Amino acid sequence: MSKESELLSEAATVSGIPVKTAYGPADVSSSSVGGRLPGEAPYLRGAFSEGYRSKPWRIFQLSGFGNPEDEGERIRYLLKKGETGFIMEHDRMTADHLYDVDHPEVLARSEDVGLSGAVQLSARDTAFVLEGIDQSSYYAHPGGAVVQHAPFALAAYWTVAKRRGIDISTLTGTGQSDYFLTYLGCITKQQIPARDGLKINCDIVDFCHRHVPKWVPISIAGYNGADSGLNAYQELGSVFACAIEHIDETLRRETIPVEEIARSLGGVNFRVGMDFMEDIAKLRVARKMWHDLLVSRYGVTDPRALRLRIHVVTAGSSMTYQEPMNNIVRGTLMALASILGGVQSLGVSGYDEALSIPSEEAHHMSVRIQQILMHETNLSKVVDPLGGSYYLESLCESLEERALGFLAEIEAQGGFISTLDSGWLHAHARENQFELEHALITGKRSLVGVNIHQGDGDPFGVDGFQGANDVFDRAVARLAELRRTRDGRGVVAALKTLRDTCHRGDNIMPAMLEAVDADASLGEIGSVMREVYGDWKVPISF
Amino acid sequence: MESSDQFLSPKSGETVRIGGFGSRVLIAKTSLDGHWRGVSVVARALRDAGFEVILLGMVTGEEIARAAVDEDAELIGLNVGGRIEVAERIVGTLRSEGYEGPVFAGGTIPPYAIRRLKDLGVESYPPGSSLRLIVDAARRLTSKGGD
Repeated sequence: MSKESELLSEAATVSGIPVKTAYGPADVSSSSVGGRLPGEAPYLRGAFSEGYRSKPWRIFQLSGFGNPEDEGERIRYLLKKGETGFIMEHDRMTADHLYDVDHPEVLARSEDVGLSGAVQLSARDTAFVLEGIDQSSYYAHPGGAVVQHAPFALAAYWTVAKRRGIDISTLTGTGQSDYFLTYLGCITKQQIPARDGLKINCDIVDFCHRHVPKWVPISIAGYNGADSGLNAYQELGSVFACAIEHIDETLRRETIPVEEIARSLGGVNFRVGMDFMEDIAKLRVARKMWHDLLVSRYGVTDPRALRLRIHVVTAGSSMTYQEPMNNIVRGTLMALASILGGVQSLGVSGYDEALSIPSEEAHHMSVRIQQILMHETNLSKVVDPLGGSYYLESLCESLEERALGFLAEIEAQGGFISTLDSGWLHAHARENQFELEHALITGKRSLVGVNIHQGDGDPFGVDGFQGANDVFDRAVARLAELRRTRDGRGVVAALKTLRDTCHRGDNIMPAMLEAVDADASLGEIGSVMREVYGDWKVPISF
Repeated sequence: MESSDQFLSPKSGETVRIGGFGSRVLIAKTSLDGHWRGVSVVARALRDAGFEVILLGMVTGEEIARAAVDEDAELIGLNVGGRIEVAERIVGTLRSEGYEGPVFAGGTIPPYAIRRLKDLGVESYPPGSSLRLIVDAARRLTSKGGD
């Protein structure tokens, strides 16, 4: 065997499904495609019959760093390039922990402030980000990736809209409130317990149903599970286990019909990585699993609820540090897989992902990759062009079987949150992490420029984006100004209302909006939530 | 903690030990970014190579320095998830607090930051560094090595 063919001989998908040299009719069960077309239940082949002809996918890039003005400038840049919705990343250090910028934990690392998103400690800061951006024209993701931060981030965005005279019931956009990020992929120094997070997420679902009906309240998002190590069928199984927890918890309140709950939770996120065919299969299977779950378990019949809408972010962990320009090719391939899988919305990770947050050049490239695929390849004309491929359909069958098995394992342990509390899900992710790294040493897995075909350095000299340098000082100044110029008594009253609401177990969103509109700061709101809910006991084991 | 299959908490004050025969390595996160995949993989590789790994989580320079003295650490691994200025300050604190042993770093450390850490005598292992390379470095930097 030659060296190249040895490298290519590994015969399984990334998640370990054995792969044959070729596939034929005998590999696919007769029911698999069964003459069904895209847009027909169970939607394996696509959620909508017209596909991208009637509605192109949304170009939706993660964006944000520095001062609110820096973030606003980057968002306007992306919109000018042709992005069709926008995402507001918050500074992770303050946002994820609900800390003000003068919290001791932040002061100890003040240079990090603003590295991963704009510092938004009040609705005033959010207004600075949104300067010159018409909230009624764009589909927005105003942050709140982490569960405990979502109520504040949503309230700040909606408060800015109200102050501009916009009726929030007309706004379109999405929340995130991401369990896979908060409790699996990126565990912060302090966060509210996972079980309380579920209550808060369902508060958001309930509030949106009443007051912001066009909004996607939360997004069940497998990305961070997958990028933490969960394989394709584990991501599928756990995403739907997470959805089941949310549906059941919301149903218990008896305030919203199941069809409406399902519709509002039916915009999910998956990660697409470099196993091209397996990840296309994953997206197709996701639609079928969602349909089957809603029909068989909840008796849902409304097609609007049964059609799963999918947002994909391409795998950051697939982007290599070595020779970063190679990642433009990786981004293109992952984007292509996403489109062949029929996504509604797509973000392509920057080619400098392994070095830094995206530079303007990397963002530009991510948008252009999507536009080239959308406009130059003719791919957007035909829905599910790979439907009927023996290999793809066979992979779909294998993935679905394994995903349902993984889902059953989760449910046997009391459900998704129980597997987070016990660390069971983390253990699966951890095993895969180690196996993937180990496979790079043994040569079972190949990364060009990393463990094969290594170069002598990066011929393009990508050095990593450095962001802005004055973020901490300016955030401190804005916070001082906020404290000086707001109605202090109003803040105290609003925070008391929030505390009482949390203690009573009522929906926290009205009180959160009241507190944010009174110009309470992120850290003050965080103090209330920490006091009421306490801290999650982190279960990660080696 | 009783077995080698231990719990990791990324929070300070909840030190976690894994392994336990060879040299003692402290691993700490410099930023408040909670991604743990890199730390987890590296800690496990070091443990499998025979090192005793002590995970400190998200801690300050002073906390790392104190732990290094208390635990008689032979090597400190910094998981750099934020700006290089914070990592530089932590290395400065370690030196001023009396830790004279080796320090190495991993994480999303861009090339310019690798150059700056090198000036402080800190080796960097950015994404894509093989676990074998990292274990070899840990052996080279400590007297007893892993096994």
